[in-house]
Amino acid sequence: MIDLKELILAKDNLIPLLRKLKKEARLIAPVKNGYGDTFFTEISDLDTTVIDLDSQPQSSLKPFLLPQQETLAQYTIDKEEYTFTPPEKEQATIYFGVRSCDLTAVLYTDLIFSKPTRDSSYYARRNQSLIITLGCNNPFPNCFCEATESGPYLEYGYDLQLIDLGDCYFVSAGRRKGADILERWGYFFREVGEKDRKIRYQLFLESRGKFTRNVQVAHACRRLQQHPVPETIWEALSRRCYDCGGCAYVCPTCTCFSVDDMPLNKTQGLRLRSWDACTSSGFTRMAGGHNPVDRRQHALKRRFLHKLKDDLTLHGKVSCTGCGRCVDICFGGVDITTFIHLITAAEVP
Amino acid sequence: MVGLATSFGSGAMTNSIGELEGAEVLLVTGSNTTETHPQIARNILKGVDRGAKLIVIDPRKTDLAREAHIHLALRPGTDIALINAMMRIILDEDLADDLFISMRTENFTSMRDYLHRLDLDEIAAVTGIDLHTIREAACIYARSCKSVICYCLGVTQHTCGTNNVQAVANLAMLTGNVEKEHGGVDPLRGQNNVQGACDMAALPAVLPGYQALTSPEVRERFRAAWSVAPPKTPGLSLTEMTHSGRDGAIRAMFIMGENPVLSDPHLKRVQDTLQHLDFLAVSDIFLTETARLAHVVFPAASFAEKGGTITNSERRVQLCHKAIAPIGNCRSDSRIIMELGKRLGCPGMDFESDAEIMEEISLLTPIYGGMHYDRLEGSWGLQWPCWNRDHPGTTFLHKYYFARGKGQFTITEHQEPKEHVDKKYPFTLVTGRGSYHHYHTATMTRQSRRLVREYPEALLEINQADCDKLGLREGELVELSSRRGKVRVKAHITDRVQPGTVFTSFHFWEVPINRLTIDALDPKSKCPEFKVCSVNLRKVKND
Repeated sequence: MIDLKELILAKDNLIPLLRKLKKEARLIAPVKNGYGDTFFTEISDLDTTVIDLDSQPQSSLKPFLLPQQETLAQYTIDKEEYTFTPPEKEQATIYFGVRSCDLTAVLYTDLIFSKPTRDSSYYARRNQSLIITLGCNNPFPNCFCEATESGPYLEYGYDLQLIDLGDCYFVSAGRRKGADILERWGYFFREVGEKDRKIRYQLFLESRGKFTRNVQVAHACRRLQQHPVPETIWEALSRRCYDCGGCAYVCPTCTCFSVDDMPLNKTQGLRLRSWDACTSSGFTRMAGGHNPVDRRQHALKRRFLHKLKDDLTLHGKVSCTGCGRCVDICFGGVDITTFIHLITAAEVP
Repeated sequence: MVGLATSFGSGAMTNSIGELEGAEVLLVTGSNTTETHPQIARNILKGVDRGAKLIVIDPRKTDLAREAHIHLALRPGTDIALINAMMRIILDEDLADDLFISMRTENFTSMRDYLHRLDLDEIAAVTGIDLHTIREAACIYARSCKSVICYCLGVTQHTCGTNNVQAVANLAMLTGNVEKEHGGVDPLRGQNNVQGACDMAALPAVLPGYQALTSPEVRERFRAAWSVAPPKTPGLSLTEMTHSGRDGAIRAMFIMGENPVLSDPHLKRVQDTLQHLDFLAVSDIFLTETARLAHVVFPAASFAEKGGTITNSERRVQLCHKAIAPIGNCRSDSRIIMELGKRLGCPGMDFESDAEIMEEISLLTPIYGGMHYDRLEGSWGLQWPCWNRDHPGTTFLHKYYFARGKGQFTITEHQEPKEHVDKKYPFTLVTGRGSYHHYHTATMTRQSRRLVREYPEALLEINQADCDKLGLREGELVELSSRRGKVRVKAHITDRVQPGTVFTSFHFWEVPINRLTIDALDPKSKCPEFKVCSVNLRKVKND
């Protein structure tokens, strides 16, 4: 068991600390682009780039840990025999300013890619990563992480967690790598006082009261365990689903993928893995044209029940982290919150 | 375009897209909005969720029609009759906006007299919708003062397309639902920049900004700027050009980003025309079926490889930034035009930047007068009319007065489609865009493996009742034939279409459905009747 250390970091010391950390690893943090959209972006120069900790990043860590398209291996064909060359080693990476929901999502994907065998490609990146989270004092309009028990503050899973106390950050180490930073760069920090703890607790309580959406996740889960979903709900949802896959792409816990070979020439090629969506009909269609999930409403059923029912049975926790990204992306307004509202409002048969 | 321009004086969406959300009644006609304009459908559905009533007029039971409070599934080509009936009911129920009519419109008296002569029962029979439902829809539309009409190609792609649009405009004026936020008439544009193309006079009879080709003052302004006088006579419309025939007047063509060999009606004539041209040049980002016929092909730059502006459906001019340098030898459309112009001896074809092009546009086009390049930078764009630098742009049109002065009521009479169903061709074929996954002739979307996987081939939507008669099962091949040609396509059984009507898209070159469509045009807008032609179906037996 590591020593779960807690220290205080003055805000003025944040950039100097990141500068030190950046010497040994790639730094990725939320940055606002010219159009006013915030994304996790690699930072090359801390003096010219402003880290945006006020907006919700529109992307999660998924594009980094499970890229939209990645090369699993290069292959060469020699006398009808394939030889695979794995890609180069991954770089050490620090993710800074990660929100609680997105860290929870990383813990979930860790689980998915560890069974039945460890996914070497995913873990090559994951093992090289260090995640510094930022607890949410002001949840964003679509957030409901309180209801999915993945925020606004975290109790475990992070390397370091920062809580904004106004003029300083309350920093806790949750894993060895984080504790190492506190030890190595101890002179940036000061000890935690009783007052700091009180402020932290007060902010935590206030944050929990600031959620604007009331999404009854636990209630919905109980309903799903006890009763089947009325078909009318699936019909209503599927009428509005455009089958665009947007929800799956922005979802930090959606991990469906496809693997394709892309020949470069007659003897060489790349084996690529790219994001896919279980709601796409082509994802489940078989070679002869038969589709076991042949209608849009069944595809939606698969997606929502996987997150709120199957994963609860399998892992003891829902795999929706309440980040609210699908709420904004869905054209038809049939995101997971709509489903939860419909389920909780439906009459018990 | 022509229809709305005649009635209101301007042929664009009168509202902004965001306003749809705040409307109380949304009447959507001839638009499969969820599949063809998902972003606009999103606003419509938000409106519905906030309590707005949705009325959909469409022969097909589209996804949006399933969401509608009232779905008027009319017989294809009977839009005018239906709208006239709604207007008559509004008069009978005393729901017309008399003040608006007297202050803001003209020619109402003859309109009213015409409506009073209508036989509503006859109309109900013609449209195939019972009178009670029409009455309900008319009352819902007229009772609200925030009623919006959205229409699309289902209204315009008929031989009576212009009249259809005028009928829609009449309905809006009758209830005073024009000059305000959340109320108006909104044609939905089918391409990202088709509004911009029209604004810049990619039309046969106007100069940029819809300025009259015949006005001496306007002509002089353009002559001074271009050192060339614009031609005095209007040009030809697209279908007139591609259908001019093997010995037609058109001898050479330059086609940019268009694939008429698949997208125009009565393909045999199109092929005939293009193959017998003295010279054909095509510029496109992929080698399309049309480009294959060309003597010269210009590889054009894609949206990511060029700058410029794009004008969307709500008249919003937005800057588009170059993300990557053009790949290989391709060049932006403006570069291609300039180089061609220079070689043809046209003066002034030396614009250095997109900003310089925009400067000329604001100088010569009054409605773009205040759209300076620097104002477009770092903003979400400006909506025309925007007369000068201080003008904030216009979110909704026709406030206080119509662009043409007073709104004009134009009597529109029901007119049967050019082709009737008969014994030999007993089915009505409707064509359009078929899915969320493909765009037009799929020159771009079929380059994406994922989109192709999701929607791999053309399907013919057909009702179960018709399949039973033909002995057809899901996925079996049918041969479709009209007086002009035939194609084979897989059947897809669905209740989206009514018995007697079949629907398919024009996305796939393997099923060139426009071999069958009729080349009858609307006399004013020259828009082809893609939405109705008579066909016969035959099950293809396995050999």
